[in-house]
Amino acid sequence: MEEKEIYEGVKEAIVEALGVEDDEVEAGSSLFDDLGAESLDLLDIVFRIEKTFGIKIPRGGLQEEILSSEGVKEEDVVVDGALTALGAEKLREKMPEVDAEKLQEGFRTDDLPTLFTVQTFVNIAKMEIEKK
Amino acid sequence: MKLQNKVAIVTGASRGIGKVIAICLASEGAKLICLDLNDCDNTVKEIEEAGGTAISLKGNVTKLDEMEKIAQEVIDKFERIDILVNNAGVTRDGLLLTMPEEDFRLVVETNLFGTFNCTKAVAQQMMFQKSGRIINISSVASTKGGRGQTNYAASKAGINGFTRSAAVELASKKVTVNAIAPGVIETEMSQEVVRRAKDIVMDMIPLKRLGNPNDIANMVLFLASDEAAYITGQILYVDGGFRG
Repeated sequence: MEEKEIYEGVKEAIVEALGVEDDEVEAGSSLFDDLGAESLDLLDIVFRIEKTFGIKIPRGGLQEEILSSEGVKEEDVVVDGALTALGAEKLREKMPEVDAEKLQEGFRTDDLPTLFTVQTFVNIAKMEIEKK
Repeated sequence: MKLQNKVAIVTGASRGIGKVIAICLASEGAKLICLDLNDCDNTVKEIEEAGGTAISLKGNVTKLDEMEKIAQEVIDKFERIDILVNNAGVTRDGLLLTMPEEDFRLVVETNLFGTFNCTKAVAQQMMFQKSGRIINISSVASTKGGRGQTNYAASKAGINGFTRSAAVELASKKVTVNAIAPGVIETEMSQEVVRRAKDIVMDMIPLKRLGNPNDIANMVLFLASDEAAYITGQILYVDGGFRG
């Protein structure tokens, strides 16, 4: 599946879940800051993306999923719920679409979804579609 | 018609309060899914004879996977779920010191886990719709307790907490979650209490009568209607002023 097609499907899911206008949504839009999402909205978006593409996105720590694919141990990248310097570095590499200034050592992994952009969901969907 | 074309699931709809609730919602135009461990043919027949639409589905509310399948079945058939009434419940009264563990477990699993299972099964669809009404049947025992009802009171108190929390979680998707706490209502389930202590019970009810299932159904209808759009996370007592 072409990335453009995935982007359109993700965009539609976001527009429907958040009730925003089509032209408000861009690849770089931050879900929380630009589009006003709340935590439940992320689940809503995930459910809609799953339905659209017939995929299953793992719950409970997308960051762990992303980091585990890097072949590093969890304790090297996350300690007491916060990113280590290595964890922050790996995530910045893996998620170039999010605000790198904020993704530093000590950043709480629970807060990671607040940095998600539209492109993050495109990447997640793409990853799961490829696994299929 | 207050609920024209709304799709409503009522659990425990084969008899008692659940049956009356189902008939009441159907009389206002809702399409009813009557869910119960037993078949709800009598409830469905009454609804259809009055010109309404209803189906009977058998299922065990203590099984999440069964409830998820039923929710999907309803979505496939009716394309939406607007109202869920978590009414299915049991009692196994007995004094704490002699209550078998399985009686405690059964009551909590049916009343509280049943409410969780059914709500979880429909919540995603209601979130997609950005609308929905979840109405849980609690009890005055949830706050007042009752002799021989440690299991029942605990399960209903759990429903109150569940209601308040689920209401907060789902509010942004315009899904409201409320509970109704009936007092002593004349049903098969309450016959034994009434038989044993009718005078004592009456002394506790300022309105000097037992409730009837219609008193509860009317509150369910109100909470399910557009008029109740701004009410969520509430425990509404329909108990004749019960002073337990």
